[in-house]
Amino acid sequence: MTSLGMGIGIGYMIFVVLGLIITAVVLYSTKRGRRDKGEGVDIGKAERAEPWWALFIVILLGVLLAFTIWRAPWFQDNGPGQRVQVTGIQFGWAVQPTSVKVNQPVQFNVTALDVNHAMGLFDPQGRLIMNVQAVPDYTTTRTHTFTEPGTYIIRCFEFCGYQHHKMIYPAFKVTA
Amino acid sequence: MTTAHPPVPPAGGLPYDADFALDPPLALTQTRTRRLVLRWIWTSTAFLGIAGVLGLLLRLGQAEFISLDGNLWYAIMTAHGLGAFIAWAGFFLMGISWWVLFKCGFPIRSFILPELTYWTMVIGVLGIVVTTLLGGFGGSWVFLYPLAFNSSGQWSDLVTGVFSASVLLAGVSILAYCAGVLHTVISPALKAEKDTLGQRIGLAFGFGLLWPSRFKTKRGVEPYPVLPLAVNALDMFLATLPFALLLVFQIIQSADSGFSINTLLAGNLLWAFGHPVVYLLLFPAAATYYYLIPRYAGRPLVAGRAVAVSWLIALTFNLFVWAHHLYMNYPDGNDVQETLGTIMQPTTYALVLPSAMSLFSLAATIWRSDFQWNAASKFLIAGAISWLVAGLQGIINATSAFQDTLHNTLWVVGHFHNMAFLNMGLLIFGAMYAFLPELTGRPHFNERLGSWHLWGTVIGAYGWVVCQMWQGLDGAPRRWSRLPETYMDLTRLSLVFLAILVIAQIIFLVNLYTTLRRSPFDDPSVRQGPEVKQ
Ligand SMILES: [Cu+2]
Ligand SMILES: [Cu+2]
Repeated sequence: MTSLGMGIGIGYMIFVVLGLIITAVVLYSTKRGRRDKGEGVDIGKAERAEPWWALFIVILLGVLLAFTIWRAPWFQDNGPGQRVQVTGIQFGWAVQPTSVKVNQPVQFNVTALDVNHAMGLFDPQGRLIMNVQAVPDYTTTRTHTFTEPGTYIIRCFEFCGYQHHKMIYPAFKVTA
Repeated sequence: MTTAHPPVPPAGGLPYDADFALDPPLALTQTRTRRLVLRWIWTSTAFLGIAGVLGLLLRLGQAEFISLDGNLWYAIMTAHGLGAFIAWAGFFLMGISWWVLFKCGFPIRSFILPELTYWTMVIGVLGIVVTTLLGGFGGSWVFLYPLAFNSSGQWSDLVTGVFSASVLLAGVSILAYCAGVLHTVISPALKAEKDTLGQRIGLAFGFGLLWPSRFKTKRGVEPYPVLPLAVNALDMFLATLPFALLLVFQIIQSADSGFSINTLLAGNLLWAFGHPVVYLLLFPAAATYYYLIPRYAGRPLVAGRAVAVSWLIALTFNLFVWAHHLYMNYPDGNDVQETLGTIMQPTTYALVLPSAMSLFSLAATIWRSDFQWNAASKFLIAGAISWLVAGLQGIINATSAFQDTLHNTLWVVGHFHNMAFLNMGLLIFGAMYAFLPELTGRPHFNERLGSWHLWGTVIGAYGWVVCQMWQGLDGAPRRWSRLPETYMDLTRLSLVFLAILVIAQIIFLVNLYTTLRRSPFDDPSVRQGPEVKQ
């Protein structure tokens, strides 16, 4: 798993646990509600809290937006580098050249000839490190600097037909 | 069938049905509505059976316990997706909307549109089943253009045409449903003090909560369940049109191979529908929550203006979020998609509000209430917890920066099953436990079997969904009939949970069968519905 994947998983679990604790408290409160026939609570208070809850959510989402929107894939630096042309076609990949140098930027130019495909790039440890759509009639460019030499794999990440799962490029080399 | 069980307002009174009395024409409508909704429930539940078995086959195939040759797996995948999402969950929730509306005092005003909804969906679904399972159409439910015309010899253009026409019929069904709901909510039942069309429209969309002096109703408070139904009906009507256009293009191309459209345009037409269609399920589900939870809590929905504001936000932004499905489409020299992606991350975030406010309202309604626990209410609560659990995943998915890791992985598949099955699905079961006794006139379900059904479903489905999401975070691609070997252990583990899930559904069927076999209300201790205290 990539560190981003791990981070997403852990961050997510924190919020889930918090949410479940709050849920448990709410559900447990019905025990007390049973005793006082549901009449021991000031509903107006909850109604007044409603806009504050809305504000809290808006702030939370605003913070997440501010931290993430600049990291959108289309805002990445897609500058020059060793150029690699990646073309998807049912059901295989044409990759040219087939090896690049480590620690130097690599510019991938990704396209497709028939239907939509996508380049799912896996590092030698089997971690998904990049996902680039291969759209017919268009080229999508992404630049990546490999820090680790080895054999990388491309798996097709956009459903493209009955052999989609066989659309694997097994040996993209990053050399020292 | 007789009209033996008129709705009775609860003790203490809930504002929107306090003055709900059955005059003779309404009793007739009630009988017709009940028959319609029942037919709807049985049909959609049958679709669940089919779609569920297909889903099971998919996972068995991935585990290599059975062998499904290349295209067959993908044809089953296509049928499973449309079958489970549209033909079961979507269709059920469309049907149950009529009953929720009726119970809030909004009887169907004309049965033409609901019947049109029902039949176009049934015929459309049959067409989908035939073209996928027999015709071999395996382009997935999104049939990402131009895939439907590049089948590598697995299906013909004719099959693509018939498949597109079948999906279009399901689209017509959605249009008819939306028109029918709008017609029904903008009705005299709103009891607008100044009974003009403008007043009615305003009231149906919650203006009465925001500007109570401008939009007055003799009901006192306008019924909250109407809000999400009205919002969904208007949005879904608009959102289905671009998708229908895409399907028409595909039908033309299947007849004339010289015709084609731009791939990015096709993607936008697809997702302009493909996102809002989630709310074809979620918003009627929200309406059902708004209706049922107050009945079990014994107090009106605790909600104020912020809920009304959040539904207006939903109404507006729902139509402008589709590009979050196209985050990865940012080809060189195409600024349009990049701009759309940048704008539609915040608009998607805005759609968190109706869910967050709904969950707040439900929690506040339950808070220290004398809550009535039974199979129905337990399913509703479990579904609401999934609303939270899966909703949080939705925020992650809406974040473009995470797409290199998440896009088209099994995380996404796990997410929407968590949402569609464990939120909307559990609500659907809850609604069946809640409404079937009063709809069929048969005594209440066996509560203990209901509990087993709940726990089996929750444990089974969460076990399976967590496996899928874990695999996805670890880079497992979605829509692969055979996954890379590293993912096999979790795939097989998920089958253990799926077995639990299947057993739970068998328990449900047994419970349903014994319930329906009983003679109508022969047991005096039986409650006919959640709102009646005898
Ligand atoms: Cu592919
Ligand atoms: Cu979406």
